Amino acid sequence: MDRRAFIKLTAVTGTSAALASCGNPENQIIRFLPAEDIVPGVAVWKPSVCPLCRAGCGLTVRVMDAEADVVRDGQPGIVRISAAKKLEGAPEHPLNRGGLCARGQAAIQVTYHPDRITQPLKRVGERGGGRYEAISWDEAISEVVLRLNALETSGSQRSLAFFARSGASHREALLRQFLARFGAPAPITYELFGDLVLRRANGLSFGREQLPTVDLANARHVLSFGADFLGTWNSPVAQSVGYGQMRRGRPGVRGSFVQVESRMSQTGANADEWVPARPGTEGVLALGFAHVIMAEKLLPASNAGSAGRLIGGWNEGLADYAPQRVEEITGVSVARIGRLARQFAQSRPAVAIVGGPPLAHSNGLFTALAVNALNTLAGNMGQPGGISFTPQLDVSAAVKADGPAGAAAPTLAQLAGDGTASGSTPQVLFVDGANPVFTTPPAWGVREAVEKVPYIVSFGSFLDETSVLADLILPDHSFLESWAEALPESGANVSVASVAPAVMRPLYDTRAMPDVLLDIGRRLQRPLNFPWQTFDEMLAASFGALRPATADVDAWTDAQGKGMWSGTLPAALTRQSETTPGAPGLTYAFEAPRFDGDAEQYPFHFLPYPSSTFLDGSLAHLPWLQEMPDPLTSAMWSSWIEINPATAERLAIGEGDVVEVASTQGTIRSAAVITPGIAPDIVAMPMGQGHRFFTRYASGRGANPMEVVAAVTEPTTGALAWAATRVRISRVGPPDGRLILFAGGIRENVGQGR
Amino acid sequence: MTVAVCVAVLATGVACQYVQSTAPGPATIRELPPLPGQTTGVFTTARPTFGAAVNDFLNRRPEAQQPIEFPHNTHVGKGVMCEFCHEGVDKGPVAGIPGLRTCMICHDAIATDRPRIQQMAAMRDKGVDLAWQRVYGFANEDHVKFKHAPHIRAKVECTTCHGNVAEQTVAQRSVEHTMGFCVNCHNERKASVDCLTCHF
Repeated sequence: MDRRAFIKLTAVTGTSAALASCGNPENQIIRFLPAEDIVPGVAVWKPSVCPLCRAGCGLTVRVMDAEADVVRDGQPGIVRISAAKKLEGAPEHPLNRGGLCARGQAAIQVTYHPDRITQPLKRVGERGGGRYEAISWDEAISEVVLRLNALETSGSQRSLAFFARSGASHREALLRQFLARFGAPAPITYELFGDLVLRRANGLSFGREQLPTVDLANARHVLSFGADFLGTWNSPVAQSVGYGQMRRGRPGVRGSFVQVESRMSQTGANADEWVPARPGTEGVLALGFAHVIMAEKLLPASNAGSAGRLIGGWNEGLADYAPQRVEEITGVSVARIGRLARQFAQSRPAVAIVGGPPLAHSNGLFTALAVNALNTLAGNMGQPGGISFTPQLDVSAAVKADGPAGAAAPTLAQLAGDGTASGSTPQVLFVDGANPVFTTPPAWGVREAVEKVPYIVSFGSFLDETSVLADLILPDHSFLESWAEALPESGANVSVASVAPAVMRPLYDTRAMPDVLLDIGRRLQRPLNFPWQTFDEMLAASFGALRPATADVDAWTDAQGKGMWSGTLPAALTRQSETTPGAPGLTYAFEAPRFDGDAEQYPFHFLPYPSSTFLDGSLAHLPWLQEMPDPLTSAMWSSWIEINPATAERLAIGEGDVVEVASTQGTIRSAAVITPGIAPDIVAMPMGQGHRFFTRYASGRGANPMEVVAAVTEPTTGALAWAATRVRISRVGPPDGRLILFAGGIRENVGQGR
Repeated sequence: MTVAVCVAVLATGVACQYVQSTAPGPATIRELPPLPGQTTGVFTTARPTFGAAVNDFLNRRPEAQQPIEFPHNTHVGKGVMCEFCHEGVDKGPVAGIPGLRTCMICHDAIATDRPRIQQMAAMRDKGVDLAWQRVYGFANEDHVKFKHAPHIRAKVECTTCHGNVAEQTVAQRSVEHTMGFCVNCHNERKASVDCLTCHF
């Protein structure tokens, strides 16, 4: 083709393309009457509660007019709605005090996600195939009622199981009531990074089976054992507010901060001193500090009280934990142990925090008890700059619900392992906000166990690895479309109960899960006789029992306007923690942590850690979070394996190289990130990616570290010891574009992260 | 020759008065079949057609086609204030085009024998709103942030920018909102002419 012909051809094709693009008469847009009065262009701020983690931060939501595509009577059109546009932290909320983490900011995308389930669905085709057809709410609820009636008729109410999200709330209290009234065991609330071990240790040390509230704002020195308290652990926003105050909120005083961990976290990167200890030996280091403090009489040993008595040899000055031996076990030098111990004892008030990887070993309980003892030695329990426990509202006392007490829940491992916990395999399984198929090690066989259940109902708004197995999906409202509430476990010295009405009308044909439960309860052949018709009646009963903050308005009205109630709880309404008492006189001593895989064949410790964007993977469907660079590696839209530079050089692994991680459980492949912030014998990988089914943004992207994690547990709690797997790594190929870095990378190749 | 081709293409684009608004969304990566009721398109800032792009580039907009011949003249003549129906005008950035609900505040009782009012009452019963089309407004590419409320506070008459609506039925674009038009008035009234006052 010569130049002239080419130009002619271009002219012809260009003109026809332009012609093809016009002349179509614009479709007449149908506008529907809005259901509410809206002043255009004027923003209204309404309170809500962040649902993305257990912290329960208060939100303030900017609501403005918007246009929504809707279908009414089969006719597509546009309607003006008032829609939530932006989330911010509520300035007056006692936990987050105006702050909101990046995950909370992205929560707005839950409501507007293009892959949200918009109506009740019934499975067609094989289970797990993801093919569903729309059915009406009435049909869907009748179907559930039929199944539950069948259980009742055959006397097998106990074979109803419920996977629920963890954390105290009115929703959870209603769920417990539902199950207890029906005769089923309590809900199974498995959470991968769930701090079960720390709660149990706090029960033993302090009689409170609860996560601690750390008064960082008033502390002069913070010693953290693995707790990523500024990133993902416990109540990160409340802790960040306190941390900011500690570091530079007091003129002339800057608190010091030492982080003990074997992989540098976002929190560790902020520390004055970063101390890597061998995995599973952090408790020994804590007692090494206690030994030095007692030996040098820096603080009286009698301070430690009951928490100290749990540690073998405490009263004898911890002879087994002399610095020399501690150095042998932990790898931290004698001189450093002495210096850090003196720093801890001499800065008053000083506080120690423990959480995360140190507790994810077979000896995690000992580690937590050791740090608790160190804290009491510092005399900081209940003191400014120390540890306290937030009083929590006892919902069943507040609403005066005296239904039958429910049977204890089986653990997930029991359920999957042999089905003995509740007598047999569940016949009906409800799933609400939990995705255990993704977050458990394959050896637990959760997927296989779930597949065996004859009938599964999901309340989820998205298809994930667990809900894709469901036979029926009853989609919940998003948190902005329904009552949002939480009873925070930690983060404030006073009791806090967050609650807020819906900030906008539901976009789709969804229903609030608590109201669906109440509806099912009414329609059963033996109705469950709840004292409330709707969920807000329950909330009103509960908040009505609280003391009003001001004389002229009752607590319920006040709480709805502010988005929370906070104050002092009367003893009768305070939740008594269900403490599992230890055997009297039982003491704990260091036992070497048990690892899966032998050290010869699998030379590296494998550390899956909560992703600063996706936590345990439950947020991987939000594209803003996929797009957010990891604060330490700048990686996004992908997963990666962190390797120490010395290790990488020895194994000839370069940045971005494809690496295979093999354990006794299986193998996964991912890209290498070479970072000095990790010990040479450890490789780490963030949780969150590697979803098989989780919306268009997360499906088939990266790898799931749980696929190589072994089923080692902490024996007293049965909690998964997720840091107790050994692996070997090998380079399998050069960089293939799957690692996407914000710094210096090409951002347009996000499709290659899959 | 090349120039001729470009001119031809541009002219064709300009000739287009209408743009097709329902472009199929790009294919998306998904593991599962789409669920009933689920959208599959992905939002894109690109223009749906070449013609739309050219029109946009030349700031050409089709004449607004209104669902009914709304008589501004009658309403203004009866002394209805602008902000009664355009209620956002003194509160926020946009004045707002009123929906059927606003009309029926009065017309449930007034002039109920007129066919157009009866037609509107029927629409309301069917739950359908009036699909007004916008008459004024800036293109996104102009990067203009116009806010009504400050202008109302500065006592700028509505007619300054919108012409004499009392003589119009449906609103016509009788004043061209060029940058010169804005700056002249700002200069006369000694309002700020800093770039960032009006532009992002």
